[in-house]
Amino acid sequence: MTQSGGSVINVADLRKYYGDVKAVDGVTFEVGRGEVFGMLGPNGAGKTTTIEVLEGLRAPDSGKVEVFGLDVTRSADSIKQRIGVQLQSVSLYPRLTVTELLDLFGSFFAHHLPTKQLIDAVDLGERANARSMDLSGGQQQRLSIALALINDPELVFLDEPTTGLDPQARRSLWDLVKGLQAKGKSVMLTTHYMEEAAELCDRVAVMDHGRILEMGTVPDLIGRHFKERAVFFDNIAALPMDRMAKLDGVIRASQEDGQTVLYSKDVPSTIGGLLAAADQLNVDPHNLGIRQATLEDVFLDLTGRALRD
Amino acid sequence: MSTLLRLTAANIKSLVRDRAALFWTIFFPIMFVFLFGWIFGGSGSSSNISVGFVDQDGTATAAQLHTAFASVPILSVQTGSLDEEKAAMQKGDISAIIVVPTGFQDAVAKAKTSGTAVSIQLYTDPTKTQTAQVVQGVATQIANGFNLQIQGATSIVTVDQQSLSSNTVSTVGYLVPSILAMALMQLGVFAALPLVQQREKGILKRMGATPLPRWKLVASNILLRLIVAAVDTVLIIGIGIVFFGIQLTGNVLEAAGFVFLGAGAFLALGFALASFLKTEEQATGVVQVVQMPMMFLSGIFFPFDFLPGFLKTVAHFLPLTYLGDALRQTMVNGSQVAPLAVDAAVLAGWLVVCLIIAARSFRWE
Repeated sequence: MTQSGGSVINVADLRKYYGDVKAVDGVTFEVGRGEVFGMLGPNGAGKTTTIEVLEGLRAPDSGKVEVFGLDVTRSADSIKQRIGVQLQSVSLYPRLTVTELLDLFGSFFAHHLPTKQLIDAVDLGERANARSMDLSGGQQQRLSIALALINDPELVFLDEPTTGLDPQARRSLWDLVKGLQAKGKSVMLTTHYMEEAAELCDRVAVMDHGRILEMGTVPDLIGRHFKERAVFFDNIAALPMDRMAKLDGVIRASQEDGQTVLYSKDVPSTIGGLLAAADQLNVDPHNLGIRQATLEDVFLDLTGRALRD
Repeated sequence: MSTLLRLTAANIKSLVRDRAALFWTIFFPIMFVFLFGWIFGGSGSSSNISVGFVDQDGTATAAQLHTAFASVPILSVQTGSLDEEKAAMQKGDISAIIVVPTGFQDAVAKAKTSGTAVSIQLYTDPTKTQTAQVVQGVATQIANGFNLQIQGATSIVTVDQQSLSSNTVSTVGYLVPSILAMALMQLGVFAALPLVQQREKGILKRMGATPLPRWKLVASNILLRLIVAAVDTVLIIGIGIVFFGIQLTGNVLEAAGFVFLGAGAFLALGFALASFLKTEEQATGVVQVVQMPMMFLSGIFFPFDFLPGFLKTVAHFLPLTYLGDALRQTMVNGSQVAPLAVDAAVLAGWLVVCLIIAARSFRWE
């Protein structure tokens, strides 16, 4: 079988059920060579199951699943030589040092990069001789990325690489992923941070209940769902939703976490109407602002719930 | 091959750096050797039984009796009044008191004609039943000797104590191979812990995402445990020889074979256990529940004869019973519970059954 159109991942109608639970329920997508592809969704959406089928850790129930044009079930061994894997759990042999772990994992592959080079790449030089159990969360995450890169893979899988990291550690991990892309590597990652998907991914798929709801570039998705911008402010008890939905220019109104969001195709008229209504009631809208719709809004629109961890 | 060796080296490093694991697999059995060696080993004198001799008669016959007791090698005899000796027994200084009552010599003289039995009294400490039995045996023997002497007869039949094997197996000689068997059992059963831990933490899963074949993962675990088995064997037997003077009189090759067969059987048991255990806490508990009773029921520290009937039946199904038996037979010519062929068959049976269970039920995540 030849590689179709330069894609590194080719999935058609993948299904994986656990008894009555449809973990993955008919998923179809492609990832191109050199692309960073993100899978977005809440916990239990089926992202991890999908990625673990691609990594050869789980057998699919049905559907076509190809990596580098090779069937994942039949060619698991040769695929594993060419992919890099980072799993959600970061634990490794707790009593081995960073250097020892990289040396050990390197020996599993036919070809591997020098340990020193990897340690420098993830900036762990100062902790090279520290046991993995003594590393901080961010350092463990970087070690686990280094392990994913040990065989200089063509395709890297990152399953929620920044969950549980502080903002600074998250930033430095993003830089690492951007560096991978610059080297021409393909990356498939899962996340439930919209910001992360928007920052890193060429294309994203929004997944929920084992299905892909929507797929495309981030601006594409936002454009597809929202031609309008959002006007937001802290909830005003005296102003009911149905009344605000009738303000000029408003397409749709929603309330989330104490904030009212009005999606408007005519922002000046909407704000004018809002201020007039507030003036009548003698109240002041707090934290009033305007923004473009975000991926978060798309997700909310698609699934009816917020995407928070 | 180099992958397998690296993985084994990684496992060895993990073990050596894990103090708790190191304690259980190596230092715990060594501690046992020293502990039991000091308790049961030692020189002849320390195992003497102290008894008090109370002579209320004060006659030549009573003195003769005193001489008879004093000449028994395992007894050290002190004399005093009954009250003094009772106080000494209360304090635990002596284990028994022999009392020759007033009028003993006269009664003996009359008994020759009247046939009325004459008695001496023996007080024993109820908390030391084993010692009491020994003293009672000695006292009965001395009384019999006296009877013969009084009646002017000589003993025709005597018991000359001989051990079954060519060499007398000392208590320590019995214990050292037993402790080795215990150590091999523990290192096998405890192998369940790192496996469950590595599965729980996702390490096994992470390795599954590399081209490393699973058989190498399993093989490196087996290799690690067999190396530890060899280290344990050398240390335990070495300490037995150097510090407690045990002599290896059996067949070294057979003994080595049983060391590895036993380690293999218990390792398979450990793998089988790891197949059913999900969390590390659970594993720690279950492993103790398996190894503790086995340690005490398998004739390792005391012979079977002390076990009540149904426990004896249980013991006959435990693999440790047969490993201990085989090691005692092949190392110090200990008396057998079962023939070596039976020992080997039972251990091989456990090995095969546990391996089948593990191969069918083991989960990698």
